[in-house]
Amino acid sequence: MVTSNSYLESLLQGRPQLPPSPLAWFNHLRANAVDRAGTLKVPTTRDEEWRFTDISPLAALSLKPVRAASSLEAADVERFYLPEAKNRLVFVDGVYMPHLSSPTGPDSAQDPEVVVVTDLSTAVLAHAKAIEPHLGRHAGFQDNLFAALNTAFLHDGAVIIAPRNVAVENPMHVLFIATQSGAASHPRCLFIAQDGSTVTILEDYVTLREDVYVTNAVTEVVLGNNAQINHIRVQRDSAQAFHIANCAVSLARSSRYRSVSVALGARISRYDLNTRLEDEGAECAIDGLALITGRQLADTHTCIDHAKPNGISRQSHKCIVDGAAQAVFNGKVLVRPGAQRTDSAQSSRNLLLSAKARVDTKPQLEIFADDVKCAHGATVGQLDNEELFYLKSRGLSEVAARNLLTYAFGAEIIERISIASLRHRLEQTALEQTKKTEL
Amino acid sequence: MSAVLQNLVNQPYKHGFVTEIESDIAPKGLNEDIIKLISTKKNEPAWMLDFRLQAYQHWLTMEEPKWPNVKYPKIDFQAISYYAAPKSKKKLNSMDEVDPELLRTFEKLGVPMHERAALAGVAVDVIFDSVSVATTYKQKLAEVGIIFCSISEAIQMHPELVRQYLGTVVPVGDNYYAALNSAVFTDGTFCFIPKGVKCPMDLSTYFRINTEESGQFERTLIVGEEGSSVSYLEGCTAPKFDTNQLHAAVVELVALDNADIKYSTVQNWYAGDENGLGGIYNFVTKRGLAKGVNSRISWTQVETGSAITWKYPSCILRGDNSVGEFYSVAVTNHYQQADTGTKMVHIGKNTRSTIVSKGISAGHSNNSYRGLVRIAPTAAGARNYSQCDSMLIGDKCGANTFPYIQVRNQEAKVEHEASTSKIGEDQLFYFAQRGIGSEEAVSMIINGFCKDVFQQLPMEFAVEATKLLGFKLEGSVG
Repeated sequence: MVTSNSYLESLLQGRPQLPPSPLAWFNHLRANAVDRAGTLKVPTTRDEEWRFTDISPLAALSLKPVRAASSLEAADVERFYLPEAKNRLVFVDGVYMPHLSSPTGPDSAQDPEVVVVTDLSTAVLAHAKAIEPHLGRHAGFQDNLFAALNTAFLHDGAVIIAPRNVAVENPMHVLFIATQSGAASHPRCLFIAQDGSTVTILEDYVTLREDVYVTNAVTEVVLGNNAQINHIRVQRDSAQAFHIANCAVSLARSSRYRSVSVALGARISRYDLNTRLEDEGAECAIDGLALITGRQLADTHTCIDHAKPNGISRQSHKCIVDGAAQAVFNGKVLVRPGAQRTDSAQSSRNLLLSAKARVDTKPQLEIFADDVKCAHGATVGQLDNEELFYLKSRGLSEVAARNLLTYAFGAEIIERISIASLRHRLEQTALEQTKKTEL
Repeated sequence: MSAVLQNLVNQPYKHGFVTEIESDIAPKGLNEDIIKLISTKKNEPAWMLDFRLQAYQHWLTMEEPKWPNVKYPKIDFQAISYYAAPKSKKKLNSMDEVDPELLRTFEKLGVPMHERAALAGVAVDVIFDSVSVATTYKQKLAEVGIIFCSISEAIQMHPELVRQYLGTVVPVGDNYYAALNSAVFTDGTFCFIPKGVKCPMDLSTYFRINTEESGQFERTLIVGEEGSSVSYLEGCTAPKFDTNQLHAAVVELVALDNADIKYSTVQNWYAGDENGLGGIYNFVTKRGLAKGVNSRISWTQVETGSAITWKYPSCILRGDNSVGEFYSVAVTNHYQQADTGTKMVHIGKNTRSTIVSKGISAGHSNNSYRGLVRIAPTAAGARNYSQCDSMLIGDKCGANTFPYIQVRNQEAKVEHEASTSKIGEDQLFYFAQRGIGSEEAVSMIINGFCKDVFQQLPMEFAVEATKLLGFKLEGSVG
């Protein structure tokens, strides 16, 4: 295995090309992250947090920095667009593509009623006041190598700011397209919903080629008092790619965060979602689906941190595992001292479709308050024989019955996506992926 | 209301007293010479000394486990005396010959053992510190071919059996404390149930740590041959001390084809005072190997004592159709810390396991359930059901659940559920309405909460456990 330092050097290679920002705090943040990344080691299966996910194949890669200037035209990527989304930010290998994007105009800086959808380098200048308290403050990189690396590469990124008391109707589409073989990109998102606002955001990872590459994403989501964010995350990377993502969510008083994440791609994917209910009465609903086959590994680590009283959290995570794939789930629910009347429910349900498939799941509760309602459940199993029998008694073939039940298992999560066209597309994908022609 | 709870919780330890009996204590510290001394004192064969030395070598290379969710000052293993034996050397033939001081101790514990032995028909192999001083009912057991004696006696009398099974379930290098135990264990229990024999009575051992600053390293080995069955009871109490005492026991169970071993524990060692001072460190390795087809291993535990409990009675289900069970009630109060649970490793086909764990935390205590269910690729048709419920009393305590589920076989079915609750005002109000005071109401609610586990205990133990929980939590609910 490559030693951690030379590996980091190879990852940090692209950095000198980044132009310094006119903002001192921005440069400072980046410099801190570079220093931190230099001292952290690549996690191994000996680290509890990475116990079931061996990323040594990732560490063994020799990676190139992303070559700038992609020549992609709208026609190449149009099929990924959503009819519902009026505003779209497109990044190719982590680099912002103005000609493919449709951000809100510069007047958004003046008009407090207009939602801001733009790239990070524009946003930090125009909205520094809104961004500075949040960028790099929620996704901590002190102990997280991948977050540190991402922050070290801080340049392009997606920024969405929903202003006070504005309910944004149309969903916002943030599209990350991977095109280069052997490249490491560091997508970055910052979503802010100010007090009383509502917004729906799709964070979408796709590829144009089946190739080896690394995506190392960091997303920070901030909700003000009474704000609401519907966050949809779809990962459709190449089946040979590596996808590492950290998402940190901060909820203020009575805010609501809904998240649906769907993982279909990547050779190894790892999604860390940390949700912190920082004030009273906050609510979150976090749902996930991993649909994997072949030699894929999908790892989801979530932490729901109830720091204040009267919080509500709901989580349903499902994995459908075929081939020799491996699904990992670690869902932690933490109820801090004083977070009374917390109501939390979590379920991890897993469907094994083949003899070589494996699942490692660990729903975890840590409770330090007595007036709480917390429950979690986990199941691992296969399709129910009685359900199969029922369908067969209605004239379905064994194969059709199995496909239908497998699809239905995953559809429960997909149905929670609020964007109709995306839901439809994912249903099709799930139907195809779960379709087996023979047993 | 919480004042009543506080009183319940703050009950002093009822069994805190020290018996003054002369002890033969080895110098403090651990090295090869000490191990040789223990081995020589116990007049052991050479293979036994090799076993100990091998374990010691392993131990030297190992580190204390850091992953349990417990905090305690670093233990100085060189400040512990590894051998203490009561001075009385002559063999005893009846209870009358037992040191009256010793008998008084049992009296205080509420275990009048001759009475108990006669009335309940229980054979009590009394362990006082580390050497077995009196054994009853041996004759009766010997008639059906059951060997039930101290492990040091077994090493003398049945070396071939001990050698065949010792260390096969918990290898010498298994974990830090198991390695330490393998190197220095001074006594414990050996039980052998021959082919086809159903043990006519419940077997029981009372452990008691006595000499201050002497760790106790128990070693228990129970072997059930083909078609045999046995129910084994272990109960513990210890006197009150301010310095922490280390207890690192190892229990190994081996069940061959169609054998059935049931192991029940009620643990009420000194837990430290209400400020968290003193108390026993209970770092135990318990594991059962369901080696044969259709074999069954069942663990039931009621953990109320010890400053720190670190214990995972486990089942390795190797035989096809074998069954593993784990029923646990863990109660923590004041500054007690418990990290306990089980491991169910399914290897054989159609193996089944059930886990029922109830954790109750009060005061400033911390109670963790940590469990592993692993379904190996070979375990087709394996089935597991786990349920772990926690109850919190007061807002200064913690309840944690860490269930690891690892499934490598598509034909397996694993279910896990956990919940957390508290004793609700409305429940207490309902009781009050019917003229039942809060203290009694709490006791009833808790007993209801733990019912699934208490049902698994042998009769006498169930009564004792119910009482124990009652006074453990006296004054803590309101």
